[in-house]
Amino acid sequence: MASIGKVKKERINWKEIKKQKVLLLLSAGYVIYGFIFCYLPLAGWLMAFENYKPKAGFFHSEFIGLGKFRQLFLDDGFIRVIRNTLAMGVINLVTTMVAAIIFAILLNEVKSQGGKKVVQTISYLPHFLSWIIVTGILHDALSGTGIVNDLLLRFHLLKEPLNFFAYPKYFWWIVAFANVWKETGWNAIIYLASITAIDTSLYEAAAIDGAGRWARIKYITLPGIKPTIIILLLMNAGNVLNAGFEVQYLLGNGLVQSVSQTIDIYVLKWGISQGDYSLGTAAGIFKSVVSITIILIANEMAKRAGEERLF
Amino acid sequence: MINHRMLHKSKSSLGNKIFVLLNTIFMVLFVIITLYPVWNTLVLAFNDGTDALRGGLYLWPRKWTLQNYITVLHKKNLLVGAYITVARTVIGTLTALAANALLAYIVSRKRFIFKRQLSLFWVITMYVNGGMIPVFLLYKGLGLTNSFLVYIIPGMVGAFNMMVIRTYMVGIPDSLEESAQLDGAGDLVIFTKIISPLCKPVYATIALFCAVGHWNSWFDAMLYNRMNSNLTTLQYELMKLLSSVSNQSNSVESMKNAVAAVTPTSVRSAATILTMLPIVCLYPFLQRYFVTGLTIGGVKG
Amino acid sequence: MRRKQITALLVTSAMVLGTISGCSKGTAATGASSKEDGGIKEFTAFFAVPGDEINDDNEIQQHLAEITGAKVKETWLTGQTAEEAVGTLIAGGEYPDFICGSDGTSQLYDAGALVALDDYIDDYPNIKNFFTKLEWEQLRQADGHIYWIPQFNNSYEKDMQTTHNDEAFWIQTRVLKWAGYPKITTMDEYFDLIERYQEANPTMEDGTKNIPYTILCDDWRYFCLENAPLFLDGYPNDGSCIVDLETKKVKDYNTTPTAKRYFQKLNEEFKKGIVDPESFTQIYDEYITKLSTGRVLGMIDQWWDFYVHVNDALKQQGLEDQGCNYVPLPITIDKGVKNRWHTSGDTLNVGSGLSITVSCKDVRGALKFVDDLLSEEAITLRNWGEKDVDYLVDQDGLFYRTPEIRMKVSNTAYKASHLCPYSYFPIWTGMSQDGINAAKPELQPNEFLDSLPKNVQECLQAYGCKTYVDMLGENEIPGPWYPIYTFVGTMTTATPGGTAWIKMRELKHEYLPKVVMAPDFEAGWEEYLTAYETCNPQAFLDEVQPEVDRRIKIAEEAAN
Repeated sequence: MASIGKVKKERINWKEIKKQKVLLLLSAGYVIYGFIFCYLPLAGWLMAFENYKPKAGFFHSEFIGLGKFRQLFLDDGFIRVIRNTLAMGVINLVTTMVAAIIFAILLNEVKSQGGKKVVQTISYLPHFLSWIIVTGILHDALSGTGIVNDLLLRFHLLKEPLNFFAYPKYFWWIVAFANVWKETGWNAIIYLASITAIDTSLYEAAAIDGAGRWARIKYITLPGIKPTIIILLLMNAGNVLNAGFEVQYLLGNGLVQSVSQTIDIYVLKWGISQGDYSLGTAAGIFKSVVSITIILIANEMAKRAGEERLF
Repeated sequence: MINHRMLHKSKSSLGNKIFVLLNTIFMVLFVIITLYPVWNTLVLAFNDGTDALRGGLYLWPRKWTLQNYITVLHKKNLLVGAYITVARTVIGTLTALAANALLAYIVSRKRFIFKRQLSLFWVITMYVNGGMIPVFLLYKGLGLTNSFLVYIIPGMVGAFNMMVIRTYMVGIPDSLEESAQLDGAGDLVIFTKIISPLCKPVYATIALFCAVGHWNSWFDAMLYNRMNSNLTTLQYELMKLLSSVSNQSNSVESMKNAVAAVTPTSVRSAATILTMLPIVCLYPFLQRYFVTGLTIGGVKG
Repeated sequence: MRRKQITALLVTSAMVLGTISGCSKGTAATGASSKEDGGIKEFTAFFAVPGDEINDDNEIQQHLAEITGAKVKETWLTGQTAEEAVGTLIAGGEYPDFICGSDGTSQLYDAGALVALDDYIDDYPNIKNFFTKLEWEQLRQADGHIYWIPQFNNSYEKDMQTTHNDEAFWIQTRVLKWAGYPKITTMDEYFDLIERYQEANPTMEDGTKNIPYTILCDDWRYFCLENAPLFLDGYPNDGSCIVDLETKKVKDYNTTPTAKRYFQKLNEEFKKGIVDPESFTQIYDEYITKLSTGRVLGMIDQWWDFYVHVNDALKQQGLEDQGCNYVPLPITIDKGVKNRWHTSGDTLNVGSGLSITVSCKDVRGALKFVDDLLSEEAITLRNWGEKDVDYLVDQDGLFYRTPEIRMKVSNTAYKASHLCPYSYFPIWTGMSQDGINAAKPELQPNEFLDSLPKNVQECLQAYGCKTYVDMLGENEIPGPWYPIYTFVGTMTTATPGGTAWIKMRELKHEYLPKVVMAPDFEAGWEEYLTAYETCNPQAFLDEVQPEVDRRIKIAEEAAN
């Protein structure tokens, strides 16, 4: 259920603080923990402004200011991989969320409890396979002699086999498909958990009022999981530049490399493999800045729309 | 009126039937397409390694063998790895669940004066990362390297999991908390006795996420406990089997002299199946927590 | 009721946790100490390459421990690149006793993690005799010290190579047999033969179509596509560029007339359907699968990249009788150009080797172990195994193996529990120090011939050869700079030459497939050349030349 906004603006005075002292004490503990494990390592961002060498360490490596950032943004290749990562990130975000939500809703409509359990258990199995295995199967299926071409030829949709991996235009969709294939069942778990939280009496009341299945889904189920959808959308939006490394690395090849390489692959190639940690850190800072900007904007939009928000 | 209702019923039952039919077809197709990669892996795991090289294995093994499993199970440190992995999964999941749930509780209290700031504090942690080396130095400085605790303590609070729980808790009617407060209950009591029992589905979900995360982890074992074979994890031992496949080396020289030829696909498949099995069986146990509806008895939102 | 259970579980977990962390801290074998265990010293080692760990109770390791008084726990690279793994070790400041940094060796050197060995070497005869004086000189770093001992390609007495472990144009024996074992020495002849065979025999015996020629260009394995022009002009494997044998000048093989002819030929063959259309998108696994089905008539590749799996697969399917095994051909661009595919003799990889780290508390003990491992007894144990278990001795003192033994030693579980090659410690190849046998079973002439499939035996005989090497002919090492790729491998974006090198690689990955598939070759080639120039390849060449000169100078100085 969406929170009905009746937030009383609490004034920060001693009375209030005393009333909430348990919460405050616990929070302090969490802040200390978060500071140590999440914020302290950020001191390592210093590496991005140096020519970091492991021997010299943080404090003795040569300081070069924005040099690494300049190097990154003056490189066409880096701009290109930003584009690739963003594109794949957005496509993946939309397709995987939509697929998971639809799957969760449809699964919820399955009457048989046993059937539901079986389907759900099978659905999240691919999550446990490594990308090496999944991309291997995908490669096989989409190859000239693979099953996809087989079917397309048989139904006369193609005259001769099409090598899907040879054309840049298919790549982003293949990656999206791979992600949907592997993660839909797993991603649906959260939505299914949310659906169980919806008050069953709402469904009963709707049925008595004569609401059909679609109406029930539209007016009860969807609104019921809306907070979850919004929150997940917000959090995943921030991750749009983390569109991946392994999938693109394993599925890519020379012919599609202009669209397949992501920021992480770029960092591996030009950063780590060259012993250039500073470059990797600079790219990481760039990603963080973009992510946080997206989060702030998205959160603000959610706030304006009166929806659930992250903070 | 009676006619209207009967009409209504028969209309809905035809639409209903079509829906059920389509939905069933959809589910069956979905199961097939999702099951196939796992099934294929299973087939490869039971197939002889050299024969598997020929390709063309789809639905049934061509040359049965248990050798792949035997090879995997013969890995010396596997038992230690399994022990450590089970230990960290149990301990790690419980601690993480408790830590995340408590934080989610705090942040979901509307009256809490710093809820926005605390949420922001934690949300940002999802998108910033100091990098492998600074984190390594931090853990080393804290004495976490070369110890079991490195598996448990740093990962205890995760903003993503915490947010999922928080969203769920926000959906619980305020009236429950208010009536408990009127009865004189403090925050901790409300958390444990009122809110948590209602959070079973989301707790089960997050427990599943944490458990799977712990079960599959190997990178931290390699990074922080490399020299200590008593702290290895199951996945790390198996990753060593898969090492030569995803090698990103630029050096032809190093590959030329690499002693291990590429591990056969079939052994990799067997390793995958063996690690998948236990954790996949976890879900049925958690399913009973996915209880439908909030049965609050008397207080409905 | 449930809460009690959970509480109980938590308490138990806490106790377990406490015990575990207590235990593990106590028995932690940190890399910084070498332990003594019942008189046997224990060292740790990390090799930044993939490899298999042996079991803790490995039998031959135990045997070696009794002889040498020490054993080593080896760990290998997993799921990271060598640079990443080395980088983390350096950041942590703690190292295992032994290390081989592979691609990360220069990082270790820069970080000061390695112990200078030159002052110790004289005290250890086996180590000292492992290299010649010149070779030790070549191993000196900029500060004048020696930090690592390369482990491989070091033949005792003489080079016993029977297989050509390097790159070549390979072809199936059935193709040669069908044509009556003709002499094939040029690229045009090679493709012509394949075309003719394919026309006459488009399928295998069971009807599956042949794949006349395939190319692997997956990631770093794309040498199968890109460096043929180097060899076609008759140069030896300097890998990344040509070093002219007369002038000692560095040249770029990517833009030579031969390169254009080679790619034009591939383009023609692609249009004729001879070149596998999937060449540019296939991944390594798919490639090996194709080869394992015996359908591929020919390809360029390096022996170690395919032989292990493919030979086993062919044997298992009975495809050896159909003549599906591969032999190399001495191909160059034109008649009269001498091929230098195979270089005999040892090449020193100065870029990487076994080192001792500053974390090792017993440097002398460690070196003594390395020294002991080079003795005849140890080498035999490492390479051959236990007498009468892994090999037998005939009345002349020659080692040999039975088919049962050969089967046994290829079993993974047996290797982990019994065989202990200490493969990344310095090891002799070539002859055994007993003067009779070869150092390794693969090099033993009688062993080698016996284990060859029949179709290969037939083929070799038809050409008057006894080994794969004979098919190509032997060549001496061209000069002291060889192989220059060991230097190129260490170049990074820190220098303009290194940056150019990386860019060239990226570009070739993208353009070379396009060039082969281009409908209009001339236009495609022009496009490629224009783009190629933007990488500034001259910077690359300019950086390699001084290194070539430097290596030559060291050799001249050492000779005086």
